[in-house]
Amino acid sequence: MDIDDILREVDPTFHAVPQEKRNLQELTRAWIAERSAPELLPWPADGLFERVNDSIKRQIEKVEEMTGDMDPKTNFALIVIQTELERFKYLVRSYVRARISKIDRHTLHYLSTDALRARLSEMELAYATRHQALLHNHYLSSFLSSFPSALQNINDSAGINMVETPDLESAVFIRLLKDTLVEGRGVDSDGAMDGRESDIVILRWADAKTLVENGSAELV
Amino acid sequence: MPMYGDQGNKLVQHAKRMQNLAHLPPYQTELVRAVTREVRDLDKDVASLLEPFQGSFDPSADQSTACTLLVNHLSMRRNKRCLLAYHRTRTDKLEELVWNGSDVLDLAGQQAGGGANGATAAADGGASSSLSPQEEDYVRQYGDLLAAYKGQWTDIDLTGSLEPPRDLFIDVRVLKDAGEIQTEYGAINLTKNSQFYVRQGDVERLIAQGYLQKLG
Repeated sequence: MDIDDILREVDPTFHAVPQEKRNLQELTRAWIAERSAPELLPWPADGLFERVNDSIKRQIEKVEEMTGDMDPKTNFALIVIQTELERFKYLVRSYVRARISKIDRHTLHYLSTDALRARLSEMELAYATRHQALLHNHYLSSFLSSFPSALQNINDSAGINMVETPDLESAVFIRLLKDTLVEGRGVDSDGAMDGRESDIVILRWADAKTLVENGSAELV
Repeated sequence: MPMYGDQGNKLVQHAKRMQNLAHLPPYQTELVRAVTREVRDLDKDVASLLEPFQGSFDPSADQSTACTLLVNHLSMRRNKRCLLAYHRTRTDKLEELVWNGSDVLDLAGQQAGGGANGATAAADGGASSSLSPQEEDYVRQYGDLLAAYKGQWTDIDLTGSLEPPRDLFIDVRVLKDAGEIQTEYGAINLTKNSQFYVRQGDVERLIAQGYLQKLG
């Protein structure tokens, strides 16, 4: 993915791009954002993954169809399609794994409120709930069960909160998609700048979040 | 007499050291038990300290007792966190092994058998695994959970390589006899020391399992 792809994505004529390509762009974007953001981002709500899965399925069928053909021309096309297929699969796999690793690290945090739970897909929610139950059980059978009953919880918040949360203050790179005011908090003093489209800025995720959410910027 | 939290500290040191090890060291059954015992003893102390007050303890009236209670209270919680950290580090490691598709239960048995101090691990005699029985259960259950989650992604192997794919075809050398595999270009017989040019997707599992080595 290079700068041209990104510029094309934000182009107003964007919707002239065929569906297949748009899926790929959306997937790539989601993948980059998920890998850069320190916390879990919402699962794409518009059925992106249903579409991507469908197109992967279609490609696999096509490959199977073409395999029997010995014509060198088909053979070349086959290799191109298979290469694309492998890349598609890689993107999905890497995206899903990035999410799973974030969920695993802060399971209790993501299960703690409805707003956070809504970020997970149904599958992930089932996975996270079950995983947490397994862990709790493991702790119980390993040592917690012989603790005094007041100490058996693993989500104590009296005194120090035991639930770890992701570090929202860690730094991210964002690219501005339109001219906008960028405000960031610093160590000594806060700063603000008039950002221009396609500027690349590094700042804390907590500050960048609103820009990304309202579409003024994207993670790189 | 050891200080409060000494044992817990040892556990955390074990956990820290473990993070840089390729294999999983034996489960510290004794240490875990000692820390748990310390918590129970502290809890008893607290109860007996509070008993004469019949629920009407005033911290400002008896500051030395209040201080003891506070120290006991904090030590208990600290020990608990040490235990949690130790177990979590181990389960993280185990989960990683499950994701990599290695047969954890088998592996643990082998390691403990090969290591000289493997015998200290199993307090219950017989099997000399570096995993506690609870951990073996956990691995089994997590394996099931992962399989169930993976099963929902029919066309994508989630445990596949996380390296971006470059070439469709790769050179591999066979390290161990793996028998015959079926590819769409016909069957290949993988005998030791032979070399093949194959589609990466077809042999990924075999590379992960150590049958094949990727060249170049």
